Parts: sequence; C-alpha cells; structure tokens
Amino acid sequence: MKPIESNLFTQGIGKVNQNIQQNNPVTASEVQESFANELKNAINSVNSTQQESNAQTNALINGEADDLHNVMISAEKASVTLQTATEIQNKAIEAYQKIMRMQL
Amino acid sequence: MSIFHGMNTSGSALTANRFKMDVVSSNLANANTTRAQMNEDGEFEPYRRKLVSQEPRDASFNSFLQKSMNRSSNPGTGVRVQSIEEDQSPFEQVYNPSHPDANEDGYVQMPNVDPLKEMLDLMSTSRSYEANVTALNASKGLLMKSLEIGR
Amino acid sequence: MQLFDQTIHNLQRGLDYSSVKNQTIAHNISNVNTPNYKAKQVSFKDEFESAKLEALRTDERHIPFSNNHSPFSISARQDVTYNNNGNSVDIDKEMNELAQNQLYYEALTERINGKFNSIKSVVGGR
Repeated sequence: MKPIESNLFTQGIGKVNQNIQQNNPVTASEVQESFANELKNAINSVNSTQQESNAQTNALINGEADDLHNVMISAEKASVTLQTATEIQNKAIEAYQKIMRMQL
Repeated sequence: MSIFHGMNTSGSALTANRFKMDVVSSNLANANTTRAQMNEDGEFEPYRRKLVSQEPRDASFNSFLQKSMNRSSNPGTGVRVQSIEEDQSPFEQVYNPSHPDANEDGYVQMPNVDPLKEMLDLMSTSRSYEANVTALNASKGLLMKSLEIGR
Repeated sequence: MQLFDQTIHNLQRGLDYSSVKNQTIAHNISNVNTPNYKAKQVSFKDEFESAKLEALRTDERHIPFSNNHSPFSISARQDVTYNNNGNSVDIDKEMNELAQNQLYYEALTERINGKFNSIKSVVGGR
C-alpha cells in the first residue's frame, strides 16, 4: 500500500531539489508534472483507504470481522488520509491565490 | 470467527459450570433418597450419584474443515457438557432395621453420595465460574479499549 | 445529491437491529424465573417472510393486513435446555449477549460518528 501523501509529496519535492543541486535546469513543466502526479497518487490513496475502511466496517456490521482493532485502525487511516489530502488541496489553493495577488 | 469469539468461549464455560452446580445441588439434595427409581426386579433403588462429563466445544464441521486445511490458527471454541453419567460405585449399606426399606438383615441401601466430595466439587466449580467471569471481563475490556483507537 | 454512501445505510440498519436485540435481551432477563417462558431472539426476516401475504385491495383507502414493515422477526430460541418449570432462559448466555450487543452498538456508533465527521471536515473546508 502506498505511504501517506506527505512522503510522496516530499519525494516529489526531493526530486526537484536533486535536479537543482545537480545544476540541471528545472523547467516549470517538470515541477507541474511532479506535483500533478503526487496529487493523483494522493487521491488514489484516499480512495483505496476509504474503500478498505468501508469493507471492514461492512464486515463488522455483518458480524464477519475478525478483529475489532483492525476495523478501528483502518477507519483511522482513512480519516487521516482524507484530512491530509484536504489540507494539501487547501494549501495548494492558498499558494495559488497568494501568487495571483502578487503585484508585479 | 467473530470479534466476540473470546467472550463466547468464556460464556460456554459459564453455562457448563452452572450446569455442574445444578448437578451437585441435585446430588446433595438426594443424599438420603432411598427410593429413587424402580429397577427390573420391581424393587426400589436408591439415588445414584450423577457425574457430568465435559468435552471441548470444537466438534463442528467448520473446525474440522479449518484443521484439515491447515488453517488452524483456531484457538478452540470453549467447553460443552457431553453427558450426565451415573457413578457406578456400590451403594452404601447402613444398618437400620426400623427403616421401611430395610432388607431381611436390617441393612438399608443408601445413595453413594459423599457430601464431602460434593462440597469439594461445589467449591471447585464455583472458583471455575469466577475465573471464567474474570476471563470474560478481560475480553470485554480489550474490546472496549479498541473502540478508543483514534478517539 | 448523494452525500451518504451504502455503508452509512448499513450502519443505520445495524443500529436498528442492535436496539431491537437489546430490548429482546432485557425482556428475556426480566423473565428469568417465569414458568413456561421461552427465550426469544432477533433475526433478520428473510426474503420469503417479508414477501408474504399482502391484502388485495380494490381501493387505496382500504386497510391493509399489516402495517408492520420491520425487517426483523422475533422468534423463540432453539437448541436450549428447559428448566423444570418450562423456562428456557440461560442467564449466563443472556448476560453475555447483553455485553456483546452493547459493544456492537458502541462500535457501530463510533464508526458512524467517524463517517459523519469525515463528511463534515471535507464540506467545511478548513
């Protein structure tokens, strides 16, 4: 299963940093592409954790769950993943708005 | 195997122990019953002490299937009472010629119930009941704690 | 606008079942010494039972046979032993079921709270 978004995000940033350190010119499209990939991965991660949590919860309702702690843990993972993705989205929008407000 | 598996196992032990207590009470109550049942000769026989035999509550198709598929992380499902048997030790002969059930020699056949043994069974059954209640409460405590994950 | 998924609906049904079960267990426990009382249990009505006789009504205003559309049926417990007064309530089993049902209800409530909080956090934004 994919690690949580901040790891993916920092990996993406890290790749860009690596390029800068090696004095490779970083194009805007590269940065955009890596960020778009990370956002896509984040959304997939949210979706998969939500589905896993729903499956475990349905098993709990029907009395088929094996362990209660696994149900609670998968629910918490889904919740944290969702909140992280929401925060990333908010921060990205905020950053965009700041840039748009810049007086050039 | 549901999340309540541990609690069901302890519950089965509580039921079995309560049943045992009932049998012990019956033995003690009938410790002096000389006319419990009629045997083939048409004569009355005294009360025979009853014993409970227990077996693990594993013998379901599902558990055998799991075992044969080598998926036996199955910790077993508890205990059940298999049968009530009668103690075949001989009746006590007590000399009491004025008793209505005395034979020609003046001996009465009394039930083979020893109150001391019954008291021991009673104490051990009741301790076992308490131990199982503790086990059940422990299982319940685990589940209550898991509900607090992420709260 | 589809805000609530199938899981929330299932959780709701599970909570309904749990609350009916609680009442049944309390009823059983209160009748632990009643002669000839048979212990009851709750189960989901199967498709056959729920598709049973509907009255043929020639006009909508006629009274139907039954307006009890609950999806649960309460029946007597099988595989029980009876006391000498005909009572079939096993107090240990009922107490055990009571504790388990309480845990089940709390677990489902936790889950449904979690789902609603997630929805609220996404809708609320920051």
